[in-house]
Amino acid sequence: MEKNKTSEDSIKILNRRSFIIIIVGAILSLLVSLRLFSLQVINFNFYKKKSVENKLSIKLTPPLRGNIYDTKKNLLAGSSSLYEFVVFKNLSKDHLNEIKKLDSLIKLNLNFGKISNQLKKYNEYSGFSLSRASWEQIVEFEKNKFLFNSIKIIESKKRYYPYQNFSQIIGYMGQPTESSELYSKGVFHLEKSYEKHLRGIPGKIFSEVNAKGKTIREISIEKSIKGNDLDLTLDLTLQNYSQTQLPLDKKGSIVVISVSDGSILSMNSNPTFDAQIFEDRENNKIRDLLNDDKKPLFNRAFSGFYPPGSVFKPISALVGLQRNLIDTKKEVFCKGHSSLGDRNYYCWKKEGHGKVNLKKAIKESCDVYFYELAKKTNIDDIASLSSNLGLNKEYDIGLSNIGKGLVPSKKWKKAFLDESWYQGETLITCIGQGYNQTSPLQLATLYSAILNGGKYPIPKLNKNTPSRFTGKLLNNEHKKIIINSLNAVVQEPRGTAYKLSITNPNFVKIGGKTGTSQVIRIKESDREDDQYKSKEIEERFKDHSVFVGYAPYDKPKYIASVIIENGGSGSAVAAPIAHKILDFAFKNNV
Amino acid sequence: MFKEFKSIFNLNWIYFFILLIIFWIGEINLYSAAGGSLDPWASNQLIRFLIFLPLFFLVTMLEPKFIYNFAEIFLILVLIGLITTLIFGYTGMGATRWIRIAGFNLQVSEFTKIALVIFMAKYFHKLNAEKTIGLFKSILPLVVSVIFFLLVAIQPDLGTAVIILVLGLVVIFYAGIKLIYPLLSLGVILSISPILWTFLKPYQQNRIQIFLNPDLDPLGKGYHIIQSKIAIGSGGLQGNGFLEGSQSSLDFLPEKETDFVFAIFSEQFGFTGSILLISLFFIMFLIPVLKTYKLSQVFNKIILFVLSFKIFFEFLINISMTIGILPVVGVALPFMSYGGSSLLSNLVICALLLNFMSINENKRMFS
Repeated sequence: MEKNKTSEDSIKILNRRSFIIIIVGAILSLLVSLRLFSLQVINFNFYKKKSVENKLSIKLTPPLRGNIYDTKKNLLAGSSSLYEFVVFKNLSKDHLNEIKKLDSLIKLNLNFGKISNQLKKYNEYSGFSLSRASWEQIVEFEKNKFLFNSIKIIESKKRYYPYQNFSQIIGYMGQPTESSELYSKGVFHLEKSYEKHLRGIPGKIFSEVNAKGKTIREISIEKSIKGNDLDLTLDLTLQNYSQTQLPLDKKGSIVVISVSDGSILSMNSNPTFDAQIFEDRENNKIRDLLNDDKKPLFNRAFSGFYPPGSVFKPISALVGLQRNLIDTKKEVFCKGHSSLGDRNYYCWKKEGHGKVNLKKAIKESCDVYFYELAKKTNIDDIASLSSNLGLNKEYDIGLSNIGKGLVPSKKWKKAFLDESWYQGETLITCIGQGYNQTSPLQLATLYSAILNGGKYPIPKLNKNTPSRFTGKLLNNEHKKIIINSLNAVVQEPRGTAYKLSITNPNFVKIGGKTGTSQVIRIKESDREDDQYKSKEIEERFKDHSVFVGYAPYDKPKYIASVIIENGGSGSAVAAPIAHKILDFAFKNNV
Repeated sequence: MFKEFKSIFNLNWIYFFILLIIFWIGEINLYSAAGGSLDPWASNQLIRFLIFLPLFFLVTMLEPKFIYNFAEIFLILVLIGLITTLIFGYTGMGATRWIRIAGFNLQVSEFTKIALVIFMAKYFHKLNAEKTIGLFKSILPLVVSVIFFLLVAIQPDLGTAVIILVLGLVVIFYAGIKLIYPLLSLGVILSISPILWTFLKPYQQNRIQIFLNPDLDPLGKGYHIIQSKIAIGSGGLQGNGFLEGSQSSLDFLPEKETDFVFAIFSEQFGFTGSILLISLFFIMFLIPVLKTYKLSQVFNKIILFVLSFKIFFEFLINISMTIGILPVVGVALPFMSYGGSSLLSNLVICALLLNFMSINENKRMFS
């Protein structure tokens, strides 16, 4: 009985403990329920979004890139098909061996280690591009197709450049550099600067995928939108013709622009390159190109800066006219040199030009006349007019490495050389030597500014942008005096380029200015001398031959700016080339 | 050894019916986990259930006296089984948990839970006379629990081992140990837990760290928890509907047929379904527990209470895992996770519960 009593007490304890555990269990159930409530009710939207993100895959399809045309709608850059060997991991577990087999069957020179590394991280169901396939390789592959379960030939697009003479303007494409970029992009010149315009909008394929990335079903498709086309002001025939006129063994450049609206009609540089090699991944050629000492990637038309030489003289003359430093009738006596302080400044003509007025000074390119003028001239007036007429400026026309050049001023010299200006430097600046640095494109623009009377169109390459005019108007009388003198350079006897009129009387009549850009200071008197053919001077120290001309001389339509590096005097080398090109442009009405 | 056949009519058929409902929900869930296919899980699990059913009824008909008498034998059998597992066991997923018996891969640790509870029930039954149980009398069951905990933990199967230890402790607590000891040991455990940490295997430490912050390894070890929470959370209040669980059908959820089977359920049937499921398991827990209040034999009370608690406890642990309030330790969801040993041991437990619920204590049962 005693035993039963205690037993009953112990039963009570068990029941009490049971109650505690039930309560604990109920509390735990409540906690679990609250947590479920938090996940499924309070944070439902968050997890719903996560679940949709989990299963939704967006695959981008590349858009077709816009074409680039010349002014007459000739195709300069388009898209063409290419074929690639693409491996799909899901099609065969043996895909790595199949890649090895393919590599030994068709010599693709694959970097196997790199590919297998990249493949490891790659989605099983998305194709991985191994290599481009040539026709011979495709034929070879088709013959042995049964060997490959995981490798297919897939069509893709690449950029196609039919004319290599445009490579230095259109540029080329490169591989994406950031992970957010999916396709190749323009990395040079117009392909780069018009990237957004040309690129287009990728299409999107929305699909539901499982955890392994396999598409279960496609939900919707947004088609890709082709990029915009780009119409250039360039003329295919003129560009190709101009390239043939550049001496192959010399570096040089030719720029042709339209006087009326600033359209760049052609812009050549030698040596040049073929942008297609980048698209075709011709690695050996690309390596040679990048290592070439002659820098074929460098377009001398806008990246090459040279002292303009005598071509610069019209600016000095205009400053003289504007500042009333010149009486057009008044003559200066050229005895072959002029002196300032204890230094002599020589004219290119040792024996001197005799009595010289402004017209004769331009026509025969007399240096002494300009030295005398320079003695009274403020260099800052030269700098300011130069800027007004298109020099010392960077044109924003979508070209890479386009430079600004230099026309010196007192302020510039103080800032960059920390020296004050010497009048002697004004003397050599006035004849286009010294610190002066201009590109062929800038010189063409300078003459456009003069011919347009000071208010001139900024050069342009995009045909569909309106011409923008800039600059201050010149005095009409001044303009006439200069143009008259420039016409005389070619049209009148003893003009430095009069020989052009005699050699090719049937060509369009042009005006213009010869120039010889000094590479090193040889004897001052040797410049501009037709007889100067000093073979003893090493090629690379020879002067650059410069000519800027326009045609027809009475109603200018075209301007050609030519530079031949180390070509010698302007009249001998650059001027005949410019004449031929202006004649071509005029006769073909480009 | 067996009761009279007519006693089968005394079984608590409501309890059996709830068991069938839960199993059937599990079947539907395995069917949807396979993307609307009986193959491979639902059909296999059903076949197992049907094979185990005769055994189930056999256990309901066992004489409690027989179970009482053989309590130590059962424990020795599972001890031999566990040692055999360690020596000859079949290794899968980095752990040696199974032995092959008659074509089945048997997880002995599952049956350890039952044997241990029966053994301890008998032990405390014999101490019936004492009012509250002191520390000294609790040492043997505690030591036995820890031995089995360690035998399973070194497989390694921390989840099952912890359940075994917890069941042992619950028996001791339920049997009436003085409250001061559990409270004291809780304090001791909390204070030495940093030392215990160093005894955990790196993968176990890893699991706990990732449980605390799944974003540490979103594509690796934390992936389970993150994906499971996404599946459950996206179920919402109503659920996406039967077979409409996109996360599970698109394979985003790993181990969806075993440890994470609740996520499949909850994605389809939402908060509402989940609460209903919790309620079903709670009712299933309470039915045998309520019976204990009518019984006075300690052996019967412990068997009914602790084994019923075992099923409910595993249920809570499993869903706590899937909703990220406990680390992923590998505890199956009773009657819903795919797997033979878990199903068999839980069926045996339910059979024992049915058996003991039908006890009439008018006659003196155990000497």
